[in-house]
Amino acid sequence: ATSKKVITREEWEKKLSDVKIRKEDMNKLVMNFLVTEGYVDAAEKFRMESGTEHIDLATITDRMAVKKAVQSGNVEDAIEKVNDLNPEILDTNPQLFFHLQQQRLIELIRNGKVEEALEFAQEELAPRGEENQSFLEELERTVALLAFEDVTNCPVGELLDISQRLKTASEVNAAILTSQSHEKDPKLPSLLKMLIWAQNQLDEKAAFPRISNLSTAALEDPPV
Amino acid sequence: MPASSASSAPPHRPEDLILRLSSAADGRDGDAKLRLLRELKNQIIGNRTKKLSYIGLGAVPSVVSILSSASSAAADSDEVESLLVQSAAAIGSFSCGVDAGVKAVLDAGAFPYLLNLVVDAAARSLRMIYQSKLALKYEFLQKKNMEFLLALLNKENENVTGLGASIITHSCETSIEQKALSDAGVLKKLSSLLGGSLSQRDASLESIATIINSNPEVISKFVGPESGRALSIVTELTKDRYPRTRLLACMCLIAIRNTSPSYLEGVGIKTKLILILLELLDDSGQVGDEAAFALCSLIAEKEDLQKLAFEANAVDKLCNHLANGSLHAKRLEGIFLALSSLCSKLECCRSRFLSLKALNLVTDALTHVCIEVRGAACICLKSVSRSVKNLSAGTFMNEIILVPLVQLLCDSPTSLQVAALGAISNIVVDFTVHKSNFIQCGGAKQLVQLSKSMDSTVRLNAVWALRNLMFHVNNRCKEEILSELTASVLASLISDPKPSVQEQALALVRNLVDGPEDFADYVFAEDCLLLHAVGNQLQNTSKADVLLQGMYTLCNVASGNESSKEAVMSQLFCQTSNTQCILVNFLQNSDSRLRTAAVWTVVNLTFPSSPGAFDRAGKLRNAGIATQLKNMVNDSCVDVKLRVKTALGQMMSFGDGST
Repeated sequence: ATSKKVITREEWEKKLSDVKIRKEDMNKLVMNFLVTEGYVDAAEKFRMESGTEHIDLATITDRMAVKKAVQSGNVEDAIEKVNDLNPEILDTNPQLFFHLQQQRLIELIRNGKVEEALEFAQEELAPRGEENQSFLEELERTVALLAFEDVTNCPVGELLDISQRLKTASEVNAAILTSQSHEKDPKLPSLLKMLIWAQNQLDEKAAFPRISNLSTAALEDPPV
Repeated sequence: MPASSASSAPPHRPEDLILRLSSAADGRDGDAKLRLLRELKNQIIGNRTKKLSYIGLGAVPSVVSILSSASSAAADSDEVESLLVQSAAAIGSFSCGVDAGVKAVLDAGAFPYLLNLVVDAAARSLRMIYQSKLALKYEFLQKKNMEFLLALLNKENENVTGLGASIITHSCETSIEQKALSDAGVLKKLSSLLGGSLSQRDASLESIATIINSNPEVISKFVGPESGRALSIVTELTKDRYPRTRLLACMCLIAIRNTSPSYLEGVGIKTKLILILLELLDDSGQVGDEAAFALCSLIAEKEDLQKLAFEANAVDKLCNHLANGSLHAKRLEGIFLALSSLCSKLECCRSRFLSLKALNLVTDALTHVCIEVRGAACICLKSVSRSVKNLSAGTFMNEIILVPLVQLLCDSPTSLQVAALGAISNIVVDFTVHKSNFIQCGGAKQLVQLSKSMDSTVRLNAVWALRNLMFHVNNRCKEEILSELTASVLASLISDPKPSVQEQALALVRNLVDGPEDFADYVFAEDCLLLHAVGNQLQNTSKADVLLQGMYTLCNVASGNESSKEAVMSQLFCQTSNTQCILVNFLQNSDSRLRTAAVWTVVNLTFPSSPGAFDRAGKLRNAGIATQLKNMVNDSCVDVKLRVKTALGQMMSFGDGST
């Protein structure tokens, strides 16, 4: 066994308590999370309680309306809202536009509107494939849904999952954030990743109290 | 079917929508106009196919008409504002990435309304228009226009500043305009926008690159102290997290480096630029495409940078991208051009390229459906075929390469023909016996065809290729080429209007007569047609390169038999007795190459073992050649000195003719 340095719980806790973190920084992280993820009410409440400033909530509200529309399957509505917010987004993001049209088709199939779906696929999706060859593969997968009686159990059935809606919603959200020159990822997850990475690095050289459960942040005693 | 909002009503069919829109445009129902505009807008955004179809149905004039009536509305109500925003947005979408849309928008007269309305939505639309080549040129040199531009750049709104930047990127062309923009403080303003939002940074970088392009004076101002830390900010941006920003920053630096290299001289920055561009190639979109072109621009003609790129494994990286396949045309073109710059001077690059079996990929691209790719593949092949080692090994002289290359000579646009000729010119220098392969593929026939082209560049390159083909080739091939070319065509090429063509034609004849005697006779055919042509050209031209090839031709003929030597003498001495023998002109010339050629000719003419040497030596002496040679025993050029020694030795062996 290699000789790893052992750091006891006592020593570790003492070191931790020596580290100073400002409350404002923590508040900003929380606000950044709420705003990026789109929790408008929570952000407003948090602002009132902590005094932390945030960006104009109206833009968050608009963005959330779009995200919500996609998550509920109202893709057409979502598209209109995005275009009202910023007409350039869909004009300059062919992949996003394709995914939204794809989602529309999926919703039509989900609701059993086969004829409308066929017409839609022909009118709206086929041209996307012509405009951009890289969409053809996904297009084929989506149209394949029309070929099966039992759509939920076919090879491409996962397209009907709610997770597909969430994926599309996330894509739209990121595009809007980018167009508003905001970061599209909140900072909190990155910090947590860095924590885990740092622990793993230290683990190679020392035995120390780790945090394994991120939600409780409880320190686990080092193995002796 | 319950509708959750008004917009869920079933959409109109396109023709219907246009009809309603057009009648609404003529009316006063603001509500209807808004509804229809929104419907149209939502149908076309993101949808290129729909845009084109609506343009065809005549949607644009109706939209512009709504914009114009809203612009001249008396009151400034919410409804008017909405109409302005929605019509501007629709116009913007029509113009986005669709040239036909831009044209329709401009033809319908939207431009002045949009320009006057520089609010957010209009600015966006105008920006779209200015990204197309079809937009009208903006006249920077007019005072009012410059003021307007500065006003745009000074606004807070990033769409408005973006518009200012787009206008510059689109319309700034001449160095006078560049200077005017720099003097008016635009460059400084753009530099400050580098600290703005993402879109402001990107737009500024593009405009800055346009203003500084090829303009040393403006560049020195840009990097000077009054500009703040502009150069270091741009350098920092090459490490930005967004790929497009990195690319645009690199392109700025490349623009500076290509014009005023002293500002970016360190090995560090050179290597960094190369590495960043190579990494950007991994981007699968437009950024990756442009990175390849930027790399080409950075290293073109610069051996030191090519060396650095080689050490950074550029050849491997570029070839890997090629090998991964299914690249679209623009990307292929960029990569081939980058490879061609990389391999243009360094053998190590060419070797590496060939060892990676990349030649197959280039050859495949010779038949690509897109013209630009075919052209770029030819240019790449031209660079790679500069490898003497591989020319000696006959690497390129096989049907797989030759057939498509020859094919490109027929029926292609001129630029493509010239590119193919460039590659062919190198390949036919082949030192093996495989030149007949080329002739069998119909190559010689095509070259001869193109040597008669009206376009002088094509003619020049075709004759050049023929010259190289003729180099050290066997007799049978010589015959085949000549029967295609014919002496009369060759004679007219020797007296072509362009000196560069004359030079290559003479070099062709030189190669023709180089070797066994039978071919020297060819110049005597048809009443010495070719010999006279050569002789005439020597008398009539003053261009050193042409003179050189002419003299060496005569020199080669003079290495033949007695009648050949006599024929050369008659060419050299056929002018009136007043003027100096042309040989003396050559011997007195400051260009050592011409002196060398002349002395060799004298050596051949006075070669002791031929019967008529004595008489020829006498004639030459009478023309003052011996005296001239005596003055040259200590010539500064070693080659000349040695040959003079031989020539004098030979002439003296016939006695010095003095009494």
